[in-house]
Amino acid sequence: MRFAGTCGAALALLLAAAVASLSLGATPIAPREVLRALVAFDAESVDHFVVLSQRLPRALIAVYAGAVLAAGGAVMQGITGNPLASPSTLGVSAGAMLGMLVSVFGFGAGLAGQGGAALAGGFGGFALTLAVARLTGLGPDPRGVPLILSGALTGMLLAGVSGTLLLTDPARRAEYLSWLAGNINHFYADRLAVFWPLGLASGLILLALARPLTLIGLGRERAEALGVPVRRVSRAGLAAVVLGASSATAICGPVGFVGLVVPHLVRPVTGAHLARLLPVSALVGAALCLLSDVLARRAFAPFTLHTGVLLDLVGGVCFGTLVYRLYLRPGARR
Amino acid sequence: MQYETHCAVRYVLSTERLKFSIGRSAILHDISLRFRPGRFTALVGANGSGKSSLMRCLIGLAAPEAGRVLLDGRPLASQTRRQIARRLAYLPQSSICPDHLTVGELVELAGFARTGLFGTVRAADREGYREALRTVGLAGKAARQLSRLSGGERQRAFIALALAQDTPVLLMDEPVNHLDLKYQYAVLDLLRDLVTGQGKTLVVVLHDLNLALAYADDAVLLKQGRVLAQGPARQVLDARAVAEGFGIAADLRDLGGRRLCLPKGAQMIGMP
Repeated sequence: MRFAGTCGAALALLLAAAVASLSLGATPIAPREVLRALVAFDAESVDHFVVLSQRLPRALIAVYAGAVLAAGGAVMQGITGNPLASPSTLGVSAGAMLGMLVSVFGFGAGLAGQGGAALAGGFGGFALTLAVARLTGLGPDPRGVPLILSGALTGMLLAGVSGTLLLTDPARRAEYLSWLAGNINHFYADRLAVFWPLGLASGLILLALARPLTLIGLGRERAEALGVPVRRVSRAGLAAVVLGASSATAICGPVGFVGLVVPHLVRPVTGAHLARLLPVSALVGAALCLLSDVLARRAFAPFTLHTGVLLDLVGGVCFGTLVYRLYLRPGARR
Repeated sequence: MQYETHCAVRYVLSTERLKFSIGRSAILHDISLRFRPGRFTALVGANGSGKSSLMRCLIGLAAPEAGRVLLDGRPLASQTRRQIARRLAYLPQSSICPDHLTVGELVELAGFARTGLFGTVRAADREGYREALRTVGLAGKAARQLSRLSGGERQRAFIALALAQDTPVLLMDEPVNHLDLKYQYAVLDLLRDLVTGQGKTLVVVLHDLNLALAYADDAVLLKQGRVLAQGPARQVLDARAVAEGFGIAADLRDLGGRRLCLPKGAQMIGMP
């Protein structure tokens, strides 16, 4: 029962991260007080109020985004066979971001409209990445660097358009500027309250497809020969990933690199089978997001950094390391 | 011939006037073949003669331009991937080998065709997986990572995957490539046993004509996408067929009950 042990360890990590996230802040609150705020709320206590109305929503958003993106990365890397695939490297997050902004700035959409636009944008961004890869004629093999280059190109393009869009409305610019940078913040709690079922649905679909998706990692033809309707399964899997990742972007902006990095951290422990990789990645992704959030808030106190910015910094380093290990190092296999 | 009238019973797998192209270049022309149950058929031919394309048509990975493939008398095109996978296992020529997948996990994936998305793995299935690993000599390596095995061990792991699928028909594209001498014979002995002992039907692409002569019941000789000859291996693979199919002169000699094909060096003979 090694897997149960691994799950336990990941869960313990998540719990520790949650405790740190809830008790650390501008005013430290003892874990006992945090627990009391959760189980026996005292309306008179300022600390309790801070925990319940600010830190808890914030932590839940971090957990949601981390879990959904890490699971998405694990699946995308499995389907494409590309170790650098993830919602943020293949244009999904950037697409969802643009979709959101278009709905807000162009149509003044409400929450539901924004969610729908983010979904459409996520699908659009992913499709654009694939189209760019095809148009540049860099080869249809999704396992190579060309797909990632197309994703980077698409991401930059969409981010540029998003930035331009933001500049058109000085009144609302400030409100969305921090969201655009990937900001885990309690005032997005109402978004989480609306969008969380999307992430749950995404996770359940992916878990149900864990075995055929793992088989696709053996190559499309072999998967077909072993009884997997590859087109249907990979479409359903990718759609589920886009669903989850876009909903995370709709909540707290494009929080990058969790999806890219976490599967690489987890895979050596759980193995490549998605039935094991997926849940552990989700737990570790949630923990990683929580910890980066704590770090972003506390490391440069009294200034607070956006979590997205910190994750981009950390993720950039990890990305470089991965590229070096997988592609550039002498004797690399690809 | 009398069995032509009820071919659905006599032939587990057959093709009818199969034609297949990639882009504009025609790969297979008018291939009509029948594979009888409980026979080991070697598919031989020079490079580019269409062996792998034929295999891919037989498993339904390549869609023929004309003609059809029949599995158990039913058109392959009308069956779902899972239905096919319960009857046919396929060992492709090359394999993608994901990082961090163990040999044991690989072999268990063979059960997907039977269990589907939500089915559970039964104890009997697990025994089957272990048996498949034992058969290829990897019983002690179930916990090892596939990507860390040697080329030969990896090939045996993929052979175990095909065996674990537990199908009556196996299609194998050059299964003994990358294997050292011992395992070439061990694997072919095993395939022979599957046919003789368990009545399985095998269609195997083999490059080494001596192995084909030693192990196969029947042979199909392909040349430039056409069937040059089909029938019992020893009849198909004679000196003339070798000359015509491979463009090389060869002596065929009987030695100690075996038929040996001895190419006469590299001198090419005139191609028609």
